[in-house]
Order: sequence, then structure tokens, then C-alpha cells
Amino acid sequence: MNLLEVREITKNYGDKTVVDQISFEAQAGQILGLLGPNGAGKTTAIRMIMDITVPDSGEIWFTADGNRTAGVPRHAIGYLPEERGLYRDAKIVPLLVFLAGLKGVEPETARRRALEWLERFELQNYANAKVEQLSKGMAQKVQFIAAVLHEPKFIVLDEPFSGLDPVNQELIKTEIRNLAARGAVVLLSSHQMNIVEELCDQIFLIHRGQKVVSGTLRQIKESYGNFRVYIETEAGIEQFTKLPGVADVNRLSESRWMLNLQDGTAPAKFMKAVPDSVQIDELQIMRPSLHDIFVKVATGGENQ
Amino acid sequence: MNNTFKIAKWEVMRNLTNKQFIIGLLLTPLIMIAFIAFPILIERFNKPADVVYQVVDQVGILPLLQDMMPEHITLKPSSDQAAAEKLVQEGEADGYLLLEPQFLSTGHAQLYYDSSNQEVFGALSSALTLVLQQQRLAESQLEQAQLAYLTQAAFLESIAIDEADAPNFHKITVSAVAIVVIYILIFSSGSMLMMSALQERRDRMAEVILSSVRASDLMRGKIIGHFLLGVIQLTFWTALALPAVIYFTDFPVMEALAAANLPLILFFGLLGYLLIAALFIGVGATMEDVQQAGNSQGLVIMLPALAFLFVGPVIQNPNGAVSQFASYFPFTSWVIIIIRDAFSALPTWQIGLSGAILIATTILISLMAAKIFRVGMLMYGKNATPREIIKWLRYKER
Repeated sequence: MNLLEVREITKNYGDKTVVDQISFEAQAGQILGLLGPNGAGKTTAIRMIMDITVPDSGEIWFTADGNRTAGVPRHAIGYLPEERGLYRDAKIVPLLVFLAGLKGVEPETARRRALEWLERFELQNYANAKVEQLSKGMAQKVQFIAAVLHEPKFIVLDEPFSGLDPVNQELIKTEIRNLAARGAVVLLSSHQMNIVEELCDQIFLIHRGQKVVSGTLRQIKESYGNFRVYIETEAGIEQFTKLPGVADVNRLSESRWMLNLQDGTAPAKFMKAVPDSVQIDELQIMRPSLHDIFVKVATGGENQ
Repeated sequence: MNNTFKIAKWEVMRNLTNKQFIIGLLLTPLIMIAFIAFPILIERFNKPADVVYQVVDQVGILPLLQDMMPEHITLKPSSDQAAAEKLVQEGEADGYLLLEPQFLSTGHAQLYYDSSNQEVFGALSSALTLVLQQQRLAESQLEQAQLAYLTQAAFLESIAIDEADAPNFHKITVSAVAIVVIYILIFSSGSMLMMSALQERRDRMAEVILSSVRASDLMRGKIIGHFLLGVIQLTFWTALALPAVIYFTDFPVMEALAAANLPLILFFGLLGYLLIAALFIGVGATMEDVQQAGNSQGLVIMLPALAFLFVGPVIQNPNGAVSQFASYFPFTSWVIIIIRDAFSALPTWQIGLSGAILIATTILISLMAAKIFRVGMLMYGKNATPREIIKWLRYKER
């Protein structure tokens, strides 16, 4: 069942169309990656879904506890914006209780959950500290807690990993998976493609306000086509370039090469054609990475 | 409404536990006391120095003059000009007055001085004038009674035909104090309100809050919260000031409050506050920081002070054209109506019309501020230009 349905939302500022007829759906438990170059319209789209700004046209539907409503109810939203901060002079637990209170959580419940979360993030010693006493990474974890303390059904995380060290990145990744496993929809916007590949079930890529490609990671990689072959060999590349199905060759270093296969060339077909006598130190056959697809879209705007 | 209340409560609690707010709360009365005490202290320490002037009195009025001098000015007789001048040069006197025999006919005298002293000049000048007049009247050989009769001053008594129109000192005092209090409320809590809108953007909290509450709720909550903070401040200060007023002065506080038109003061004061609060929060939402506030924003901040320009003309001519205008113009009316009502009872229809215009303007400004607030809160990184603000006002929300 679809928890979130976004139907052809559009937003114009003056005569500039910032978001142009975007539609997508998300089911409970899904992590959806919303990708796009800077200025593609991601933040505007997110703000419209959360009713911070109103779309010029289009509809947003949300289903919770069997009720289908127009727009996502505010108490169901958890939001970690990209431009983030906290009241610098506020104390952490009262601030978290206040923010959860705006979502309708009773102060006692909010306080208990806040302390649990702080402990999970090893911030229990800062419960009574002021925000200005926190390091950047700590503040970011507190912001994450603020976004999820009220156990929202729909969580929007805009660049949740920027500025975090690898240990904390893992911590946040685990929590995001847990939130999805408990039935929330997570909308994740990030430029860290490796993390998006790792976490997201569905990916939605926009450019200049329009949808470029969407689907599961596999679907996107398939639609963005051809396999590539990474080869490390001392034997000389000529033996490979003559093989059927090879489109072009890029030299990465003295003995490392990247071959692009032609559209429709299956890896097995390529492998069968490789002579037994050829010496191979290392060989990988892979789809283009999400990073490559993103760069292709952002620079060429290619739409297949 | 529930969220409005939560925001208001948060703003109140956050400030009440904020060091700056508490310091301000305690420091302001001290500053007020300093302002009152400072002139008194200056007066005490700045006692004028004693001065000595020689008088070459060829008329015979020195005793009369000395009687009219303040304590620190001593007049001493000198036999002639040369003797007087010698004493001045020796530093025994600060100057000398030459009164020649023809003074009573010409009215002409000379003051020679070492260093100029305006106070002595003024004191001697008016004393001489008085003596001259007395001497000349005495020369006219009139009886003492006739003299008194001739020099009697007129006494003009003013009596209001309708008792309600009579200026009531207590009522005027309470109204004046009320206006000062409203201004303190506006400038202290109004500027805090503006800072709070600005801080929401500076701390990058606006988006998170707006994903939980509507912009209008956030704005209302802030206005109510800071109004309550202002009231808390004023209550605290009043609690300090009232016993002092009762103890040190014999002003009958309760009697004066009973004489004042409190409902009118509360009504116009509150509306005035709401109007200015909406303006300030709207402006706050367009600014990234105070230092970079543009001219247009500065003008809006000055708007509450506009009423001051009208106070003088209104008191001089409470029913003139300027008064009429200022009574209906919503950015001055909330002060002017209180002032006019303090001096003479106003027709009910005038109060009603002025109130209606003020309410309508307050609603209009609040709606505009809400629109500006809604867009402005999400604009990070710069102060908005007037052109952008006009564009925001035109955005249509479904």
C-alpha cells in the first residue's frame, strides 16, 4: 500500500518553473533517494510535500492508519533540513521536548524518549548542556533525534551524513534502516552516492525541476545501460579491444584499463570471447555506478 | 491555537531562563534610578563658586541690590572706580559695578569684569531693573496702597462649563505614564520580537519549526509570547516603582487610577502594541542581521516614534485639524486618542471611528506580516530588498 503519493506537483517562482510535474509514490518501509544536482528543485519539492510551501498545482496524498488525507499531516513528518541549526542558547532536552511537543508528544514521553536517544548516540552527558556547547557532529546527531523523536511515519532527511565521521555515518545509517523497518517512509536526499546506493530501495533523480529517471537501483542501472569491464593486465590491451562487443577503451594507468561494452552485450558473451591464453591479474564486470549516472545526467542532462 | 500557545510558552520560558533577559530586567530599574539621581547629584556637586563684586555706588542703592543677590554673590562697596579696579587686579574681586548718579534718569550702568559671568550679569541686570522701577514709582510720590494697586497682576481663572471637560491632573498623569509604559513595552518587547524572528533564520530553525506548525501559528505564538514577556517585565518594574512612588511622593496612586479612563487606555494601548508587533516581526523576517538593515527597514522601526511629533500640536489645540488627522491615522491614533481623552472628554463616535480604523489596519498589517513572514523565514543568507518583499506579498497561497 502506498503511504505517500505525489501527483504532478509544480511550483513556479515568477516565470521560473522550479519543480515541474513531479510524481512518485512510496510504500511503508521504503527508503527513497531523492537525487539531483544543486538547484535541481529538491528542496522546493521537499518543502511542498511538507506543506511549508504550497504547490501551484498537483496533489499530495498520505495514508496513515487507514485514512487517506490530502497532504501529509504535520505530526506525521520528521524533517532534518540541509540548512540546519538549533537554537544556540537552548538546553538540549528542553529543546527536544519542545520540538516533539509541537508534534503532539506529551512532555513526559518526549523526555523519556529523548534520554533514550541521547544514550544511544552516546550524548547522555550532554542532556543538560546548551546547544552552543556541542561539536558540529554532536549537534547533527541531536538534530537527527529532533527529526525522529515523535516517531513520524514520513521522514525527510536532507544530507544527513554531511560533516559526520565514518563511525557516526554508520550509526545514522543503522538508525535510518531501523526507522524504515518500523514502517516509516524515509525520503533521503544526498550527494553521497555510495551511501544512497547502500540504503535506498527506490531512487528518484531530478534535474532542472523535472524527473530524469526513477526506479530501483537495478532498474536505473539497467536503463543507464552498458556494462563496463575493469582489467589489470601486463599483456597489452590489444588482445581485448579486438573482442566482439567492446565499444571503447580508457587507460586508467600503466597496466589498468576500463572497457565499455556495447549496449546489449551480455557479460557472459564477452567472457567467452576472452582467449584462455591471456594473462589477467584482475577483472571486474560491472554496471555504471550511481555516481557515474548522476554525473552523466548533471553534465549532459541525458535522458534515456 | 494549541501550537500558538506552545510557541508562546517556549518563547517565555526560553527568555526567562536567559541571562541577558534577567540582567536586563534587573539593570533597567538601576538605569532609571541613575537617570533620576544623576541630575540631583550634579546639582549638589555643581554648587556655584562664591564671587565678589565691588560696587562704586554713587546712587545709594547697594543695600537694596545685595538683598536681591543669591548667597554666593557678594557685593562690596568701593569709594571710587580706581580703588575697585585695583582690588580686581589684586584678585580680591571678580569685577565691579559702576553706578553713576544719573543712573536713575538714564537707567544706564556698567559692569566691568575680569572673566565673564553670565549668572552675575543676569542677576544684577534684573535687580537693577527692579530697583529702577521702584525708585521711579517712589519719585512719583504715590501712596503705598496706590503703588500696590498699580502694579497688581491679573488673575485669570479657568472654569469648565461641563465638569467632564475639566482637565483632571490625575487623569493626565495616569495617561502620560500609560503612554510611557506602552512605549517601553513596544520598544523592549517589540525589538525582542524582531530579534527572535531574525534568530529563527540565523539559527536555521525556521524550516524545522515550519514543518511542525503553520507560519501564522509561529508568528502569533511569538507575538503573544513576547507580549507576555513585556508584561512580566512591566509587572516586575511596577512592583519596584510603586512602593517607591508611594513612599517618596504624596501622589495619590489609587485615586489617580480611579480618575483615569483605563478601558480606553488598555484598548488603544493593546491595539497599538499589536500593530507595531506585527510590523516588527514582519521586518524581522526580512533581515539576516541587524547591522545590514536597509533604509526601508530602519524607517519601519522608527514608525512608532511618529506619534511624538504630534504630541505638542495636539496638546496646544486638541480639536484642530492636526489633532483630527492624528486621531484617525492608525500609526499615531493609539497615542493621540489617549492624550486627547486625558485633556478633555472625546465624543464617543470619534473614539469608535478611530478604534475601527486601528483594528482594520492592525488586521491588514498582520495579514501582510504573515505573508512576509511565511516566505521570509525560509530565505537564508541575505536581507530582502523592498522589491522582493512586494513580490512576496503578491504570492497567492491556495
